[in-house]
Order: sequence, then C-alpha cells, then structure tokens
Amino acid sequence: MSLLDLKEITKDYKLGKTIVHALRGLDLGVEEGEVIAIMGPSGSGKSTLMHIVGALDTPTGGTAFLDGQDLQQLKERQLVALRGKKVGFVFQTFNLIQTLSAQRNVELPMIFQGIRKGERARRARELLTKVGLADRVKHKPNELSGGERQRVAMARALANDPEIILADEPTGNLDTESGGPILEMLKRLSVEDGKTVILVTHDPDAAAIADRIVRLRDGRVVEEVGRA
Amino acid sequence: MLKDFLLLAGQSIVHRKLRSWLTVIGVFIGITAVVALISIGLGLERTIEEQVAKVFGVDTFILMAEGTFGPQRHAGGSAEEYALDLEYLRSIDGIKVAAALRERTGYVQGPPSADGTSLQGFFPVMGLSPELVTEFESFTGTLKALPGGRLFEPGDEAVVVLGTEIAERLGVTVGDTILVAGDESAELDLTVIGIMAPGEGGDDDSGGGFSAGMRPSADKDTIYVPYETMDLLWGPAEDVLVTLVRSDPGVNVDELADRAEKALKARGSDVSAVTYSDISEAIGTMTSTVSAFLAGIAGISLLVGGVGVMNTMFTSVLERTKEIGVMKAVGAKNSHVLMIFLIESGLIGLVGGIVGTLFGLGLSAVASSFIGRFFDIKLAVVASPTLIIITLLGSFAIGAIAGLWPAWRAAKLPVVDALRYE
Repeated sequence: MSLLDLKEITKDYKLGKTIVHALRGLDLGVEEGEVIAIMGPSGSGKSTLMHIVGALDTPTGGTAFLDGQDLQQLKERQLVALRGKKVGFVFQTFNLIQTLSAQRNVELPMIFQGIRKGERARRARELLTKVGLADRVKHKPNELSGGERQRVAMARALANDPEIILADEPTGNLDTESGGPILEMLKRLSVEDGKTVILVTHDPDAAAIADRIVRLRDGRVVEEVGRA
Repeated sequence: MLKDFLLLAGQSIVHRKLRSWLTVIGVFIGITAVVALISIGLGLERTIEEQVAKVFGVDTFILMAEGTFGPQRHAGGSAEEYALDLEYLRSIDGIKVAAALRERTGYVQGPPSADGTSLQGFFPVMGLSPELVTEFESFTGTLKALPGGRLFEPGDEAVVVLGTEIAERLGVTVGDTILVAGDESAELDLTVIGIMAPGEGGDDDSGGGFSAGMRPSADKDTIYVPYETMDLLWGPAEDVLVTLVRSDPGVNVDELADRAEKALKARGSDVSAVTYSDISEAIGTMTSTVSAFLAGIAGISLLVGGVGVMNTMFTSVLERTKEIGVMKAVGAKNSHVLMIFLIESGLIGLVGGIVGTLFGLGLSAVASSFIGRFFDIKLAVVASPTLIIITLLGSFAIGAIAGLWPAWRAAKLPVVDALRYE
C-alpha cells in the first residue's frame, strides 16, 4: 500500500449559507520518498487537499489512508498524534511564533510531544545547523530575513522526524535567491533522508524539483505528469 | 511540559508589555484594597487582644452575671448582680485566689458634729475583697489611699474606706467612726481607715482602657467596706457585680472556669465564667465580621479586575488565532492550548497579586500608623503569611478563572479556520 492513498475524496464545507464543494472525487496515491508537486488555479482544492493529508481536516466522503491508517476512522486525539509525529508543515507565510527564538520555535512541536528539554534543545540546534542557521539560534523571527525564517520553519517541520513534509507555497513569499535553497533542501530531504514531500505551488520552477506533478481543477485531479 | 507552557505564556505576556501591565493594574488595585483592609483588621484585632491579654494574663477568669457577656448580651450590657458563695468558690480545686465585688445602697450616718447633729443619707456601699486591690491590679488599676490612711487588709472587719467627696460631706477623717445600716436591724460602727485617692487623671476614666469598666471606680461618693463586712450588714451575697479568679499555676484555666461555673450554678448562682479565650474569641468574631464586610466591598474592585483579565485574554486569543492554528498544526492538543492560555491569564492575576500584596501591606502599615496617631494607640502591623499565601493563590485563581472562557474558546478553534485567519 502507498504511504498515502486517497480514493474518491470529497470535501464540502459551509461558507455562510452556501455549501462549497472543495473536493469532488479526488484520487491520489503517493509513495514513500516521493516528491510530488500539486499545481492548479486558486479554488481548485489544493489547500483543502493539504489539510486532509496533514490530518488537519477530515474528508466528507471517500477513503483516505495515511500510512495504513484510515483517516475517517480516527478520533480527534489520534489525528492530533498523527499530525504531531507523521507530518511536518511548511507554510507560505512561515507562521513562526514571533515571541520565540528560532531554537524555541523548532522545539515547539517537540514540547507538545513531551520530549525532554535537553534532548529538545540538542535536536533543535542540530536541525538549525542542518538548514544553515547555526549562528541564528537565539534570533527572534523578526530579526531574520524571509529566507532564514522559512529555513527555521523547515527545521520546525522536521522536529519530530515526520515521514511526510507538507509544503504549501514554501517559496511564495521569497525571491528566487532565497527560495532556491529552500527547494534544494526539500529535494535533499527526499533523496537523502527518504522523506515524502508534497509541495503545493504555482511556480513551475518550484514544481521542477518534483518527481511527479499533479494538476488539480475543480476538486479533481486532471493531469499527472512524471513518474507513473 | 508545564514549565515550557509557563515560558510560552510568560513570553506572550512580556511581548504585550503595555496591555499586560494595564491589566495587572486592574487586578492589583483590587488586591491592594483587600489585603490592606484585612491587614488593618488583623492589626486591630491583635492590638485589642494584646490589651486584653495584658489585663487578663493567662491564668485569670471573670465571673459575671449570666447573659452579660457574649452574643446573647442584654441591650445596654449593664452589670447585673448575682448570688455568690465566695468561700465555696475559693474551696474549688485549682483556684488560687478569688476576689469579688458587691454593691448595695445603705443608710449612712456620720459622727455628730459640734452642734450635735450628724449628716445622714443613703449612699452606695461597695464591698471589696482585699485581694482585689493586691492581686488583680491589672483589672482595678492602681487603687491608693490618700496619705495617712490605708486600704483593706485581710482580716479587716469593722473598717471603711471613703471616697473623697463623701468623706468631705460627712466631715470625717481617718480614725473617725461612721454608722452604716444594712437590712433589717443590722448596723455597724465602722472606723475610717483611709480615703480613696481619686483615680489617675482625675475624674476621667478613659485612660484606664479595658480595666476602666472593671474597677470599683474612684467614685467619690462611694463607701467601701471589706467584702466580709457586707455579710454582716446584708447577709450572704446576692448582689455580686463581678468576681475575679486566678488559677493555681499549671491549671487549664478554661477547664477550671467551666468547672467553677458548673459548680456555682448547681448552688444557685447565675454566673457565667469568662476567660481570656472567650473574650479573644468574641473580639475575633467581631473584628473578622467587620474585616470580611470591608474586604467584601473591596472584592468588588477585584471582580472588575477579573473582567479586565477576561477582556485582555479575549483580545489575546483573537490576536493569536493564527498562532493557535500553528500550534495545533505542529501537534498541540486542545488541552495544551487551554493550559497555555490559562497559565497566561493566571500569571497576569498572580503578578497583580504580588504587586497588590506589597502595596496592600504597605498601605496597611501607613494607615495603621495614621489611625494609631489619631487615636493615640499603637496599632500592630500584621503581615499574615496565611493572608499572603491565600492572596497569591487567589489572585492566580482569579486570573485563571477569568481566562477560562477565552482559553476554552482558543482551545476549541478549528485548526483549519485558525490557520486561515489573517
């Protein structure tokens, strides 16, 4: 079985009085270690797909298996555990906690898993070193450049050693110069560490690192390019 | 993990310095008022108790007419009379000294003057145990005879001590004899052995503090005779105003007082024994009622402070909606979010509590010295550790309770909506 297996996924949600059909029967399988890029116009359901894969939201219909677990059947508590341990998020707007230093931001996911302080600090520094910010551990987000902030976010996504990295427009707010290293890092995570990377993007250059490009339109997969 | 949450909450408070401080001010004003009022109340209580203790010591109790002390006290609270067998009381095991005071109005006739007439009339006659003067000075104040005379000694019988005024009116001095008539045909010729010196500070009794009400006051027109002499004039005592009793060393005075009261009641004396602990209990009840009332009023400002905390926390939750979404996305449980916000509001309350306690204690010290100067007493300044601990815990609780609703709202935010929030 694939790491991620989505069949006939539908997702409706209410927006005021109208019901929005964000996903309308989406099928997608993702293998371990793969980098896939999800592209599509606004409103095509990219973000909703990300939320479901990241266990932030549950589908309205269809079957969704993540690492063999049926997302539909999981209780809130189990979903929390899933997104804490199996998934790491990288957001377009970084979403770092402004009041915390780079190191504490990276420690945050580990705090919620109850990992001991010494172990946490050691791992946070190790991850920050890995993303090239060894000399920025004590800096607050507003003391860092956009590229540096996104690298902190990358380190945070890796904190609990997840199997899947979900990156939602990770270079959307960055120029090419600072965005390039982020994409390289994502690629290396797949190649060197065997992580599965799901990358939502508008940018064809970003999508170029993917093994496979999946295009969405109106809540369905309309095209898959790359390794079959 | 709790320590980490504390740090997260603390960092958020520090980050919003101005608003946090304003909220803290809202809390600390209320705490200051409560702490100050309670501390002043405690100081007052301690001061009064110290005064009472000075008079009572640990080994003394009073016998009063039943119903004149305590909550069922008669309106006016004037001393009522009761029957007493003083010799029997003295025989009770554990009693070292007992002294009583009884009063009657008696017919008094002075010595004949040069023209053969003599002054006569009805005057208050007070019977004093000699021990009242020698053993219970803290109650009676210092009683002295004017130079040339003396007060009673054990064994005195046909003697009398006069108030200054009556001595003058009767025209007698030490060594003269006056006639005092009691019930029926009982009458005695009594030798004047002394003239009672007026109380210190002249007529003014207010200097005597607690003991003022107890002393066979230097009423200038009272006639004093030995307690036993009263028996000869009026028979067995049924007119005792007050009895003072001291226990043998090492005797539990409360237990002894109970025993004495029961024994006397069984013999028909309507007395109630009042010990130091009874009085301090009564004072405690009174002052703590007053303190609680005042603190209750101050508590209203505390409530306002709590609402301030709630308002701040709602704003904080709203501002940090996205942050909450992020925390949940990286694995925070609802309970984690709830805890972080509760700790944050609790900390605001606690800081308010710390500042408020310091200010409150300071305020009570200043107020005590002011009140003390005004009424010319030295008011004790009390910094009760219990009060401080309860206040600090309470202020944390107020903050946390005020934060409960906002924190619950934060915890329940759907993660997807929170992440989308801009």
